[in-house]
Amino acid sequence: MLLVRPGEKVKVRVKVNGVWYERDIEPRMLLVHFLRDELGLTGTKVGCDTTTCGSCTVLMNGKAVKSCTVLAVQADGAEITTIEGLSSDSKLHPIQEAFKDNFALQCGYCTPGMIMQTYYLLKENPSPSEEEIRDGLHGNICRCTGYQNIVKAVQDASRRLRA
Amino acid sequence: MKYVGQPVKRLYDDKFVTGKSTYVDDIQISALYAGFVRSPYAHAKIKSIDVTDALKVPGIVAVYTYKDLAPLVKDGIRIWNTYEDPRQWKFIPRKPLADDKVRFAGDPVAIVIGVNKYVVRDAIDKVNVDYEKLPPVTKMEDALQDKVLVHEELKTNVAFDVPFNGGDVEGAFKQADKVIPVEITNNRLIPSPMEPRGIVSRYEGGTLTIWYSTQVPHLARSEFSRIFGIPASKIRVIMPDVGGAFGSKVNFLPEDVSVIASSIKLGRAVRWTATRSEEMISSEARHNTFKGEVAVKNDGTLLGIRGDLLVDLGAYLTVTEPIQPAIIPLMIPGPYRVKGVSIRSRAVYTTTPPITMYRGASRPEATFIIERIMSTIADELKLDDVTVRERNLIRADEMPYTNPFGLKYDSGDYISLLREGIQKLQYNELKKWAEEERRKGRKVGVGMAFYLEISGFGPWEFGEVRVDENGDVLVITGGTPHGQGTETAIAQVVADTLQIDISRVKVVWGDTETVVASMGTYGSRTAAAAAGAAMVASKEVLEKMKKIAAGLLKADVEEVDYAEGEFFIKKDRSKKVSWNDVAKAGYYGKELGISAQIIVPGDVTFPYGVHVAVVEVNDYGIPKVLTYKAYDDIGNVINPALAEGQIHGGAVQAVGQALYEEAIINDDGQLTVTYADYFIPTAVEAPKFESYFAEKPHVSAWPTGAKGVGEAALIVGPAVIIRALEDATGKRFNKTPVRPEEIL
Amino acid sequence: MFPPQFGYYRPSSLADALDFMSGGDAKPLAGGQSLIPMLKLRIIQPKFLVDLSPLRELYFIRDEGNAVSIGAMIKHSDLVKDLTVKNKLPLLSHTASKVGDMQVRNMGTIGGSLSNADPSADYPAVSLVYEAKMVLSSSNGEREVEARNFFKGPFTTEVQENEVLKEIKFPVLQGYKFKYEKIVRRAGDFALVGMAVLAKAEGGKVDDIRVAYTGVSDRPYRPYEHEKMLIGTVTLDKIKEFAEKVSNSVNPPSDSRGSSSYRRKVMQIVTINTLKEVLGVVS
Repeated sequence: MLLVRPGEKVKVRVKVNGVWYERDIEPRMLLVHFLRDELGLTGTKVGCDTTTCGSCTVLMNGKAVKSCTVLAVQADGAEITTIEGLSSDSKLHPIQEAFKDNFALQCGYCTPGMIMQTYYLLKENPSPSEEEIRDGLHGNICRCTGYQNIVKAVQDASRRLRA
Repeated sequence: MKYVGQPVKRLYDDKFVTGKSTYVDDIQISALYAGFVRSPYAHAKIKSIDVTDALKVPGIVAVYTYKDLAPLVKDGIRIWNTYEDPRQWKFIPRKPLADDKVRFAGDPVAIVIGVNKYVVRDAIDKVNVDYEKLPPVTKMEDALQDKVLVHEELKTNVAFDVPFNGGDVEGAFKQADKVIPVEITNNRLIPSPMEPRGIVSRYEGGTLTIWYSTQVPHLARSEFSRIFGIPASKIRVIMPDVGGAFGSKVNFLPEDVSVIASSIKLGRAVRWTATRSEEMISSEARHNTFKGEVAVKNDGTLLGIRGDLLVDLGAYLTVTEPIQPAIIPLMIPGPYRVKGVSIRSRAVYTTTPPITMYRGASRPEATFIIERIMSTIADELKLDDVTVRERNLIRADEMPYTNPFGLKYDSGDYISLLREGIQKLQYNELKKWAEEERRKGRKVGVGMAFYLEISGFGPWEFGEVRVDENGDVLVITGGTPHGQGTETAIAQVVADTLQIDISRVKVVWGDTETVVASMGTYGSRTAAAAAGAAMVASKEVLEKMKKIAAGLLKADVEEVDYAEGEFFIKKDRSKKVSWNDVAKAGYYGKELGISAQIIVPGDVTFPYGVHVAVVEVNDYGIPKVLTYKAYDDIGNVINPALAEGQIHGGAVQAVGQALYEEAIINDDGQLTVTYADYFIPTAVEAPKFESYFAEKPHVSAWPTGAKGVGEAALIVGPAVIIRALEDATGKRFNKTPVRPEEIL
Repeated sequence: MFPPQFGYYRPSSLADALDFMSGGDAKPLAGGQSLIPMLKLRIIQPKFLVDLSPLRELYFIRDEGNAVSIGAMIKHSDLVKDLTVKNKLPLLSHTASKVGDMQVRNMGTIGGSLSNADPSADYPAVSLVYEAKMVLSSSNGEREVEARNFFKGPFTTEVQENEVLKEIKFPVLQGYKFKYEKIVRRAGDFALVGMAVLAKAEGGKVDDIRVAYTGVSDRPYRPYEHEKMLIGTVTLDKIKEFAEKVSNSVNPPSDSRGSSSYRRKVMQIVTINTLKEVLGVVS
């Protein structure tokens, strides 16, 4: 058991993009702030305060979650993958390539969350229909692209990953 | 032309897809965090502010109110003099924090500064403000009565009251076969870029450095210079990656001024990033009503329009809101021949969040008004939508055409485009299909609307091109792309002008220390003005390189020509030097460096198009836009993929404006929606798109010949979608948004 | 956006957690998808959060033959995928797929959602039609509460300050037709009106039918009395009459999603459409 009194800090150990980090933080700290402010991984973005927009989407133990609605202390011992962890050795992941090739981004703010959610969606459903793609992405809001190019990118990525 | 006209991939997407983007909140800098104490009331006197408890919160460095910051602030936030005439306006320059009164729920009253965002938020709760509530005035129509004054010093809530008279309105109405009353409203909504705005301010050794989520770093510099009395040469504004703006980030908030003032006062860097709730009240948009009548002939000819335009300003006049009441009337005639127009345009203060421009900035409002008028004429006279428009569109042989308010439409063939568009978008086939589906019981409808818009605003834009010793090219542009991808369009234009590989071209913008001057990216002007300036600068660079080549070839410059990376003697092509050779010579030779800077003047241009939408309504009155199609003449299309992207994005915002988005203000003047119930469309609500550009475009006077496409779909989209909704339901709607319960 | 300060307790067992909670001012943290948004808006400011995630004893799906017992910490995404739930409680599995979005479903739990009792949430109506039983634990012991007595008002349930919803027992209704119809204005939103139906019907005859709604009142609504009129031969007229009766029996809320009168209309229409579909009645 672990007791942290109000005002005290708690030690959390989180594996992010393959690297273990240990920090003392307040229990109230949101995972997204832990990633951005404690670890300096600013690829994950904050876009709203009502768990609506999905800009903060990361993978926690392989599952897509909205990191603004997870306490860092809930991620203690967990493995997190952020957008920074998707590509390795400066080679882009096929999803990242597909987004570029299909003009699936404009201002780029929703893009990290959108890509992480796409990664999860295609893991769960490697060959989704257009309707399944749109439905699977409805927790990620984009204000710029109108979504059609994003759908195309997901379809393209799906083909590349199955090749 | 190797690149212009091609769907060249965007140059800088790598950083966005890998999370290496740097928006203002991502900037890693040692700075204190700011937060704001905001009024919960729409209208109240501030009796006292007690900050003692807030200062006791560990980690809090300072809490400032108006009286603390006033000595640092020499002037308030004013309006955009480039496009707006202050003499037409009654306003009080905006103070950094509320002084004696708050005027909307959310009006910032104190700034709290501390070591992290969490303790700042804690301390905000501990600032005790004693308010004396005053009655709010939330409706425009009530504000007109001047019973409750938002700004007592102004002695009225009416900030702008200007008649717009053009042509012969009396004659028009005398000749009318029919006079049709209209009342058309765009309700308040929220631009909502995905990135909430923010600012980082650092004042050291007399120099102010600001990282700012803005569309207009140079305007920001001159405004902050005036506000703080710091010479512009001692201010550096840096635009980091900006996560969308849609016009709402041409705006200087009291929060920005407070952060800067605090950083000066404390001698420490201070930063603020809005939460989504703060972003929602920092910039709201549209909200206007046109009430009037239209004179027509029985064959559908539009003769005259007269009426009253009432525009809501919110509690304070913002940098860009003056555009709306001034430009909406000018664009109401649109692409149609109208004998006379008479509009009284008024703008009023209400105790609500301030209103700014939003993608289209007066043209969506004007287009909605004129297109609703056109459709109303069609319905009243039992004509079809296309016929009514064709009857009234200005003909190609009348171009350039001066509208009743003196706007000169530069080039275009509206009727041909309408006909081509209706055919290409299969409008008539869709209408037949929808009719059949309705017989089967589906509530599905098709709508169309035509638009003429004004874009490519001048008066100038800046471009600089430098060639380095390797022959690579740096383009420094006065444009400030923030998602549109127009930096790629600029690179395409430069690469084609210099006939070099686009991979050798790098485009930078947004830092006032690097960019000599700039107006910025707004009003769909970047492909026209910024790319135009870059093109002219490139041409000058090429001339300089020809001179250097002539020296190397030992010839006169008139004998030298250039093509595809080689400078050669016209009469003897075997005598040549390469681009790289000339670059190196230019760098190490007599004339050090090859560069050119130019400010290119220019003025507005007028793109136009026809859009079509298919809307279906379910059993619960909930509408969905199934398909959205566009056919536009935007002049020269530099990059069709980027242009199409603007149509897609603008159209989904049109879906939002027409059917989903409403900033609902309650009687207490509070915004009652959060991002959870302010319905930005998701991928499920977004339609499928088809987007085409005119086969024979009409160019603008800007060097690239582009007219601008960024705002088009939101300018005409709401009218298209509402028309389709009418077709689907058989009901009449003259406002946005339309709620499901109004449909059911 | 920034939760207030609170303490945090990570229990070693359910008994340990309950013991801690008996001290008061401690809220249980399940998936956090309802709790954390409230903390961010500072609607609640508890002294302690008790993290239920280490408690393996709350993660189970037990097939007990004519009932399935589900531990409170089972996630929405688990309910969507688990074969036992899909086969034996298909209405619950189908409903789980409509909660929020994929990311929220990966964290949110059935226990957390039921305990939160949002008047527009999805599970409460489903628990009413299943006639589920909620097992509440405290350091004083366990008690069972029927679903119909569990929901007391908006965001208010029978769960006391020192109690935790431990488990929900769902009777298995073999051969029942089912549907959860969720009317939303935008994908991912809370229901404007939601309707859950379980019906034992064959060849135009209804032997048993349970209907419940969300979004039409301050708690989930099951029209126990009116349901009876649907027993026996079912006709379109009966369905319409039922729809009118139930929509006049409630006073739906008005909010940014829709007005009270609109919700009433939607309730009427969704009732007719859903019953027609489930009971196979054509016009």
